[in-house]
Amino acid sequence: MSPRRLLPGCLLALAVLAAMIGGPPTLSEAQAPKRGGIFRVSYGNEIAHLDFHTAPGYEMMWVAMNVGCGLVNITPDGTFVGDAAESWQVSPDGLLYSFKLKKNVLFHDGTKVDAAAVKFSIDRLMDPATGSGMRIFYESVHSVEVLDPLTVHIRLKHPYAFMLHMLAGYRTGLILYSPTATQKFTLEDRKQGKPGAVVGCGPFKLIEWVKGSHLAMDRFDKYFEPGLPYLDRVIIRVIKDPITEMAAFKAGEIDFIASFSPEHVDTMRAQNPRAQIMTGKETTPMLAAMKVTVPKDGKPMAKDRMPHPIFGDVRVRKAVGCYGIDRKEIVKIAFKGQATPWLGIIPPGTLDTVDVTSMCPYDPGKAKALLAESGYGPHKPLTFELMTNTEKTVFNVIATVIKDQMTRIGVTANIRLVDKVTWMTAANQDGPWDMYVEDLLSLLTLDSNAFLSTTQASWNHTRHVDTKVDDYYARYAREMDAVKRKAIAREFQEFSADKLYWNTISGSPFYMVAQPWMKGYVYNAEFEVHYDKVWLDK
Amino acid sequence: MRIYILKRLIQIVPTVLGITFVVFLMMRSIPGDPVVALLGDAYTEENAIKARHDYGLDKPVLVQYLIWLGKLAQGDWGASILTGRPVLSDVLVRLPVTLELVVLSMAVALAIAIPAAIVGALRQNTWADYTATSVAMVGVSIPEFFLGVLLLLAFSIGLGGLLPSSGWVYLPGTCQTVVCAAGLWGNTQHVLMPALALGVGRAALLTRLLRASMLEVIRTEYVTTARAKGLGEGPVVLKHALKNALIPTVTVMGLQVGFLIGGAIVVETLFAMPGLGTFGIDAIIARDYQQVQGFALVTALAFVFINLIVDLTYTFLDPRIRYS
Repeated sequence: MSPRRLLPGCLLALAVLAAMIGGPPTLSEAQAPKRGGIFRVSYGNEIAHLDFHTAPGYEMMWVAMNVGCGLVNITPDGTFVGDAAESWQVSPDGLLYSFKLKKNVLFHDGTKVDAAAVKFSIDRLMDPATGSGMRIFYESVHSVEVLDPLTVHIRLKHPYAFMLHMLAGYRTGLILYSPTATQKFTLEDRKQGKPGAVVGCGPFKLIEWVKGSHLAMDRFDKYFEPGLPYLDRVIIRVIKDPITEMAAFKAGEIDFIASFSPEHVDTMRAQNPRAQIMTGKETTPMLAAMKVTVPKDGKPMAKDRMPHPIFGDVRVRKAVGCYGIDRKEIVKIAFKGQATPWLGIIPPGTLDTVDVTSMCPYDPGKAKALLAESGYGPHKPLTFELMTNTEKTVFNVIATVIKDQMTRIGVTANIRLVDKVTWMTAANQDGPWDMYVEDLLSLLTLDSNAFLSTTQASWNHTRHVDTKVDDYYARYAREMDAVKRKAIAREFQEFSADKLYWNTISGSPFYMVAQPWMKGYVYNAEFEVHYDKVWLDK
Repeated sequence: MRIYILKRLIQIVPTVLGITFVVFLMMRSIPGDPVVALLGDAYTEENAIKARHDYGLDKPVLVQYLIWLGKLAQGDWGASILTGRPVLSDVLVRLPVTLELVVLSMAVALAIAIPAAIVGALRQNTWADYTATSVAMVGVSIPEFFLGVLLLLAFSIGLGGLLPSSGWVYLPGTCQTVVCAAGLWGNTQHVLMPALALGVGRAALLTRLLRASMLEVIRTEYVTTARAKGLGEGPVVLKHALKNALIPTVTVMGLQVGFLIGGAIVVETLFAMPGLGTFGIDAIIARDYQQVQGFALVTALAFVFINLIVDLTYTFLDPRIRYS
């Protein structure tokens, strides 16, 4: 037998031997990331504008997380990983955060990400003139000090246990701005996404944003993580209609739906058995908020308050929001069972959450008794307005179920359907409303909810004036001992469930949908949406 | 004729001003504050007051309108409250998409309506007439969004992605952006379903109207004379009957432009097209007053100019009509 004829047999034997020794190929071996490709993403809502420090909305945030970089990021298990920061230390008293920056981090305009840029960015966020929604979370910061080009200190006025959480995942987290580009271009330039004006240090650089059409970003070749990102380009399109979004997905026109409506998940699954449908523990609360106080002089936002004529009485709040609402039924009908009935001020997936739902069992009899005690009954029936908005259909379904549940306890809820801006105007500007259904914000920690519910918060829609709430938040945020902090969290959530300043009815599930060929994405709810490790297996 | 056109052009000015003023007032009278949409999470009373001052929203409505008008006279359509982008440039980027959609939907409508109406009129009270009339009835009754969804299900999902479900490919040479897909075939694929969804309803309406006109015209003496002269049925129908029967149809076509732009809002949203329709609805939802004004202005201008063209078309269709 000639050596040439022996060769195939030898190769086969070697292959068998290799397989026996090495076992099956590992996932990483089988799926080495492929470089290149255009990643097509669909958003359900328009991007507001591109000044990352001030623009509202998740859509903007998910762009900011990819164009921008910060100091740290947070993984789904709550571990902090360095972004532009190589390492960090916290002083024993919790008053000094020291960050050492990576040497090779560049902004897209070629300038270096150094300690001065970090100071510039934080100072900008803290400046009232900037008008950033993040400013409230920097309340504990005393100063930012540049020690050397790669070392920056954040000095606090008092301990803040959630400093790293905030820098990583509250809204966009900290997004570093290039001082050069920020001074060179105007705010309007940045908002419009003018070429060169939106400069970050993230894996992708902005190419263009054509409102109503697309946003395009290309790989930043000098990104500090070697070999990343894999994709050549990311194109984001806005497809508002979920039916069209599903059709586009089915036809392979899009690779990734960044936020998919829960009511269509079953259809999506049935139509696309190979689709990767990603979800996790709910981190957004679904609310049936009840207004607690109204201005005494009738002028919205007045400091002088009096109890809301209906829900100012805690007995009525409890009758309606606690015993009168069947949370399980709402979840069954509105979410097809795919959510968690919940009462606590923070939802099931948020850090330090406590299940206090048992404090409000569905009990129409008790609800009626409480209403009678408050002076309501057949002789004086309770009627209130239930505001809901057109942003998500699930709000209207929930409102309809609540209306029906109210009928069972002899209460009339008149549904008022408005568009989102009308709802926001009424809620933010202390307008006339009794109850609304909404899911406001994805919450990484209980502390992040302070933004929505301290007495002085603009988004304290119910306008409760109980400073005990502020006290709980302050104690919780300043307590550096995790065990003691948990105890405060529990006490606060029980207190909140008792007062019902914040009436949660369930978690609000969040879904992302990806084509089977999209690889490398790590799901972390709305908090961290990064495309740097995404690659396309096609 | 020139004087007539000049007069009509002058008449356009108060018409457009009236429309923009009414829209201006209406937008400010509906609930919802653009500053709330602008600030979002960053909403505070102080930020809201500052933003209102920055955008001149704290001034009386009439003053705001006059400021807008003054800027418009200088060619400045204002800037979006939300994004700060110049309204005119956004309108110009989106206009070709809607223009193409509207023109093609009208073409779809005519392509269906003319043959159906001719058949219906010439074969009155036969199965062909009944079919044309019934189809027209169904067409009128189906809303654009419903037909659009049916088309999506059929051509994008059902037939394995035969036609793209959403987005846009520009006609060669019309793209104004850096990242842009352009091509005749791609454009045709993208516009086909939206044009059908928008055009079928108009087709149905025009079929009914044109059939009625045709029935009237084919019984007139000049059509009988044309036949008596020995002209073939084709020239009689197309040259003598159809041309005259088209006059009321052309009038309605002009008036339908408003409905087409309204329908474009629905169809463009459904098919996620970057046109003026989505621009308008997004602006209204966000209470972006400047953008709404831009949308109202361009819509009003389109409407009055198309109706001017329609009026001028009469002279071509009926030589007896003369403007002086």
